[in-house]
Amino acid sequence: MSFKLALRNVRRSFRDYGVYLLTLTFGVCLFYTFNSLDGQGAMVYLNQTQSTLTGAIMALINVFSVVVAVVLGCLILYANRFLLRRRKRELGTYLLLGLDQGQVARILFLETGAIGLLSLAAGLGLGVLASFGMSELTLSMFSLRLDEFALTFSVRAAIQTSVYFGVIFLIVMLFSGLQVSRARLIDLIQGERKNEVLHNRPLGWAVAQFVLGVLCLLAAYGILLWFGMAVAVAVLPICVPMLSLGTLGTLLIFKSLSGFVLRLVQSRPGLYFKNLNVFTLRQWISRVHTTYLAQTVICILLLLAIGITACSVGMNSVLEEATNTAAPFDVTVQNRAADERGPLDFGALLWEKGFDPDARLAWSRDVLIYYSDEAITGIRQGEVSGVFALSDYNALLERQGLPPYTGPLPYIAGNRGEKLVTGGLGLYYGVVSDEQAAQLQVRRQIWCADFAGDGEESDAILWSIIEDQDSEWGYSLTYASRLVIYQEIMGNKLLVLYLGLYLGFTFLLAAAAVLALQQLSQAADNAGRYAVLRRLGAEEGMVARSATQQVALAFLLPLALALVHSAVGMKAANDIIAMAGRVDTVHSSAVTALVLLAVYGGYFLATSLACRRLARGQ
Amino acid sequence: MSEILKIAGLCKTYGRREAVTKALDGVDLSLEAGEFVGVMGPSGSGKTTLLNCVATIDRPTAGSITIDGKELTGLRGKELARFRRERLGFIFQDCNLLDTLTAFENIALALSIIRAPAGEIGRRVRETAELLGISDCLDKYPYQMSGGQQQRCAAARAIVTRPALVLADEPTGALDSRSARMLLERLEALNRDMGATILMVTHDAFTASCCRRVVFLRDGRLFLELRREGQDRRAFFQKIIRVVSELGGELDDVL
Repeated sequence: MSFKLALRNVRRSFRDYGVYLLTLTFGVCLFYTFNSLDGQGAMVYLNQTQSTLTGAIMALINVFSVVVAVVLGCLILYANRFLLRRRKRELGTYLLLGLDQGQVARILFLETGAIGLLSLAAGLGLGVLASFGMSELTLSMFSLRLDEFALTFSVRAAIQTSVYFGVIFLIVMLFSGLQVSRARLIDLIQGERKNEVLHNRPLGWAVAQFVLGVLCLLAAYGILLWFGMAVAVAVLPICVPMLSLGTLGTLLIFKSLSGFVLRLVQSRPGLYFKNLNVFTLRQWISRVHTTYLAQTVICILLLLAIGITACSVGMNSVLEEATNTAAPFDVTVQNRAADERGPLDFGALLWEKGFDPDARLAWSRDVLIYYSDEAITGIRQGEVSGVFALSDYNALLERQGLPPYTGPLPYIAGNRGEKLVTGGLGLYYGVVSDEQAAQLQVRRQIWCADFAGDGEESDAILWSIIEDQDSEWGYSLTYASRLVIYQEIMGNKLLVLYLGLYLGFTFLLAAAAVLALQQLSQAADNAGRYAVLRRLGAEEGMVARSATQQVALAFLLPLALALVHSAVGMKAANDIIAMAGRVDTVHSSAVTALVLLAVYGGYFLATSLACRRLARGQ
Repeated sequence: MSEILKIAGLCKTYGRREAVTKALDGVDLSLEAGEFVGVMGPSGSGKTTLLNCVATIDRPTAGSITIDGKELTGLRGKELARFRRERLGFIFQDCNLLDTLTAFENIALALSIIRAPAGEIGRRVRETAELLGISDCLDKYPYQMSGGQQQRCAAARAIVTRPALVLADEPTGALDSRSARMLLERLEALNRDMGATILMVTHDAFTASCCRRVVFLRDGRLFLELRREGQDRRAFFQKIIRVVSELGGELDDVL
């Protein structure tokens, strides 16, 4: 009997469960999508190569999955508690009709189980689609093509998701059972919400709180911008006051804003008495004392979501530039033991190992770097750690399409060698005339080459040849190819992107779901008030608009403050990212905005539609 | 005097062919401007149905209702809502004040809804509150006021829009006798001094005795009409009581 009752309850209160179900489904979908990454486009590509990064990415995703599971678990517990509160009366009736608490607990247990199974199935289905979408996204980001790739289902990820969510649901089931068995009948029956006691605080009080809140925020911003993101986040004595000031400021602003705004609006009758503004405003104020804490938390969650997503996407575009600058040639082999063993004859070595340089290479050049001798070069001792001959230097520049150096010699280039060869030199170097160079002692040998045609196969062969030689030579050869660097950077990009999106989405989901649940519960409580408005002759449109405005206030206020926070935060973060390269903020902001809009906007829309429906009555 | 409300041959039936309940069975009633009319009758006699039809909350099956020269049965949707908010005022048994708004805002809201000029609203609310004796509690929330004050606040909300007709459904139903008397005094004053036209449904003879005219409903038909015509309230009350007792046990159960 419990089973039938539970199923009927789930079916009947589908609307009540709507947001709950949506959140669970999204959570499962998110979890599955990121845990099935190893079967997705760019990761499949990375896996085909020698890169070990896929393992690292999956390991990190696993670690963060625990964090995400905890966040989602808390969210689900909250949503469940909220649903239980709404159903106090119904549960009380069961008890009154003579069901014992064990039976009621069992009904709830079964209901949670049914909801859990339903959302798990829906979430996994959605997850398969989402992982396909993300796969396509990453493939197109790296302009890759995988012919054999299609819609896949990762059994491992599905099992992992089921286990995590199974545990969460079990906890929720136990929790709701516990709550029912501890509740007293009288509380359940008289479960109707009591009104908040409202106080008309003097205006000065609200203004003082507001000003204090703004000051706190300004102080926090000041600390962040003055010390910079790296110091402000890492150094505890700076980090703690900054975060507490920021949180306190946010809290005070949300607490005081309504009273502040009320007085402001009251002084302008044209606005105050227009439409249902009086009602809308009062509705907002009447909830402030219960919602300002929640709004602060939501604001911070949103800040995390926006910040993390924006930074990960922004970091991404920085790394993209890095690929091109870090790998000017298809391959560079450096012989670091050239001073002891003498230069290696690459041409002979390759011929010997069956690698035809004429057929496989479009261009190659053997370059020597010399120890600088002040007596010959005129460069002060210690100013450079190696020098090029001018002809070699210009040959390297020419191949990269750069103008040759024609200035006075000796030329001290500093450490710009990072971009001179693939993989970087790690030297302060200078350039001297070929005649001078001929008198110097060899320090290092550098062999650069570009492959003819598609270099993937050549790269693999060359890599194995050099590796063999390297072990023979006592590990003094370094091999850097565009392909390896590209894959490495791509792996890093993917790691940052995936983790950022994972956490960003989780926080966004949490924030939006909490808001939606709060608003829905309030709208249900407001049904009686809307009936009064209608009896007074208010048009449906007017009532619906007021309902939407209330939802909009709840959704947009935390968002607005979070946007301000993240604008400041991103400014500080960009200073760090900018050290690694130029930051494409416009692009990252656009992507962030889109992601935000999709999830947050979706919840906003769903909530305001549901609230309008509740306001309309039957 | 002009005719504010004219009800002619009003019928309202519930149910389908097999089991028809006639809530109203040909009611004719006419109210002049400035009248204060009470409707009495045993439960099930159709009082509330009559009021709901006049209030445009319910639709009659047959007959016509004309308020201030406007035929109600022809109105639809938005027109109806507009007529309701501009021409009618309501006082309910549970006073239906919004608990999140102060008394002032509750009254002002009715003006906001009819889009009264913002500059006038404050003045009109205070004037009306003065009339009903609730000037002191304009800044209070409903839960800070007594039941009587709440009901007077609801009355102020009903008349602040200067409706052609005020409809009151058991306004004293939830009040103790002292608060009820105060509310009725105020309603009388409104009727006398402001010329408000009031149609009030009640089952309480004392409440009815402050009206100028009381009509009795039974089984969906009007069967008796009493006029006060200069008598003092006590005498009128006695007259009403006599009718009620003549009706036998039918009213006793609700008295």
